[in-house]
Amino acid sequence: MADKKELAFKAKDKKSPIGADIDLNVFKSEIRETSSESDIKQIAVEERRIMENVGVNPEEKKTAGIYVQIDQNRVFYNSLTQKAEILPIKEAIEKYEWLKDYYWNAVNVDADKYTSAVELELHNGYFIRARRGQRIREPVQACLMLKTGNIKQNIHNIIIVEENAELHLVTGCVSPNILEPALHLGITEFYVKKNAKLTFTMIHRWGKRTLVRPRSAAIVEEGGVFINNYIILSDVGDLQTYPTVYLKGENSKAELYSVIYGTGKSIYDVGGRIILEAEGAKGKIVSRTIGADESIIYARGHLIGKRSGCRAHLECNGLLLSDKSRLTAIPELEAETTGVELSHEATIGKIEQEQLTYLMSRGLSEEEANSLIVRGFMTINVPDLPPTLQKTVDDAIRLTKLSGF
Amino acid sequence: MSGENILSLIDLHVSADSTPILKGVSINFEKNKVHAIVGPNGSGKSTIAKAIMGFPDYKVTRGDILYKGESILDKTITERARMGIALAFQNPPVIKGVKLDKFICKICRDCQRASDNRSGRHLGEADKCTPDLTDGFRKLLIENLKDRDINDGFSGGEIRRSELFQVISLKPEVMILDEPDSGLDYDSLKLVGRTLKEIRDAGKTTMIIITHSRYILEYLEADKVFIIDKGRKVFDGDKSILPQLEEFGYKEFLNRNKLR
Repeated sequence: MADKKELAFKAKDKKSPIGADIDLNVFKSEIRETSSESDIKQIAVEERRIMENVGVNPEEKKTAGIYVQIDQNRVFYNSLTQKAEILPIKEAIEKYEWLKDYYWNAVNVDADKYTSAVELELHNGYFIRARRGQRIREPVQACLMLKTGNIKQNIHNIIIVEENAELHLVTGCVSPNILEPALHLGITEFYVKKNAKLTFTMIHRWGKRTLVRPRSAAIVEEGGVFINNYIILSDVGDLQTYPTVYLKGENSKAELYSVIYGTGKSIYDVGGRIILEAEGAKGKIVSRTIGADESIIYARGHLIGKRSGCRAHLECNGLLLSDKSRLTAIPELEAETTGVELSHEATIGKIEQEQLTYLMSRGLSEEEANSLIVRGFMTINVPDLPPTLQKTVDDAIRLTKLSGF
Repeated sequence: MSGENILSLIDLHVSADSTPILKGVSINFEKNKVHAIVGPNGSGKSTIAKAIMGFPDYKVTRGDILYKGESILDKTITERARMGIALAFQNPPVIKGVKLDKFICKICRDCQRASDNRSGRHLGEADKCTPDLTDGFRKLLIENLKDRDINDGFSGGEIRRSELFQVISLKPEVMILDEPDSGLDYDSLKLVGRTLKEIRDAGKTTMIIITHSRYILEYLEADKVFIIDKGRKVFDGDKSILPQLEEFGYKEFLNRNKLR
């Protein structure tokens, strides 16, 4: 671990190649002592309401467990099944010596100043693992809440789905509408073992001035399936993320879906990268971006085929609702050997008058027609998602107050 | 035959992209009758439909459109639709992510009555649609389209039937069908014909059908047939002209039957 600290220290001023540089020094640390408890009833009513905004509901009967972290140090967690283990990462590191093999393994500790900051000052995060052979259909829920202004929240999460296991995790990251800036740094490392399956659904809802720099990566072994589903339908100050999936095992598969509804003067820079390193590996990246108000959105996608016999497709569709918004799609395909099949499709369009005319002729008002088109555009049916989770996603989209026309 | 006129075009001039298309068309559509609009390609038939529906790209430069005796020129498409005018599109656009059954459920009159708080209704929630809906899909043999995105990858025949179903669901007083029979195979043609016949026989809907097909007009027993050519109405009569029209074609027919 000492090595990691050293590497982190050296990288503490290292700028990220993508996204505006953030001065980390302006954000404070909390003074509060670390607390962790399993009685989720202790979560205040007002906080529960905030959590529900991102699809996390601790009352939900059909859940396999929950992890809630508020600001830096208040943690609640509860595993409701023996099939999965949920722990705050700080406790997990103490408990399992072997976890060091996973800690900073998928993500490099010295990737940039943000990874560095999380290593140098860790607040907490979750460790979730689905035990070998256990297929857990009920979702595990996690919520990372950033409630206090002017602070930073440094998170490190590790998810391990052991051989032949199946896990569905939904994570809501949320800020109530605080006016002060705040910073969320989140490292997430996913490990999908042989023939295991993980669906990871993340819903973000931030404050107007929240700065967000998640850094995540996944390693998928033979026959493993990783499905990532990312949704942000709120304002944010500036968000930049570019998760990477390494398909290391033969016939492994990754699918990354994202839906971004840009509002206000927010900046969203969201990418997805799949590195296909084994024969029979399959990848898919689908993004839907909607630019309203004065939002700026970058949709990046990168497929790298390293072994013959792998296949991947990239699809970036953008819908521009406002003349003051900017959408940029940046698809990249890279083949390092023959026998690699990569393709992409990128479009940016607007709502066509023809579509409005059509829907209005069925009795919808212009506003209803617009919102139907936009909501339809945002709808992605993610394969393998349990119905309860698909509903969570659909509800998030349905309840979004659309702006921009 | 002088029934009550539900819809009247009066000296209607319409331009699209500043190009005049209709150059003074006057037609009275009688309540609950079947009207056929025929004519060569590019004569302005579809423009009549679009102008009645109120497409924004089609500007009325002169004349008027009266619905139940009042001008509807200043009404939006939505308003015209809610007043009871419905159009089956010839080339409808794709609406991604919106399932056909959910959509029909949202627009259909019966469903709206069934759940009265329209504002609180959302797509996907309106699953309590009347059994009519399932029935309609089955009757028109388009059950396979139920959970497809609207018009996405539909064949020509599927579009005709989906359009017809949507228009029926709206329970309109005036139903405008722009080539409801094009691209249909014999079986589908029969199906569409039979469905339209049922509407005719119920006698509660005014129908305006733009078509080239003698079959469908005879089967429906069209009450009136109007020929449009070069943006003008050049002939009006009844279905008895159809055999001649088919035999001679428009040009020859019109030569033989000099205006009126």
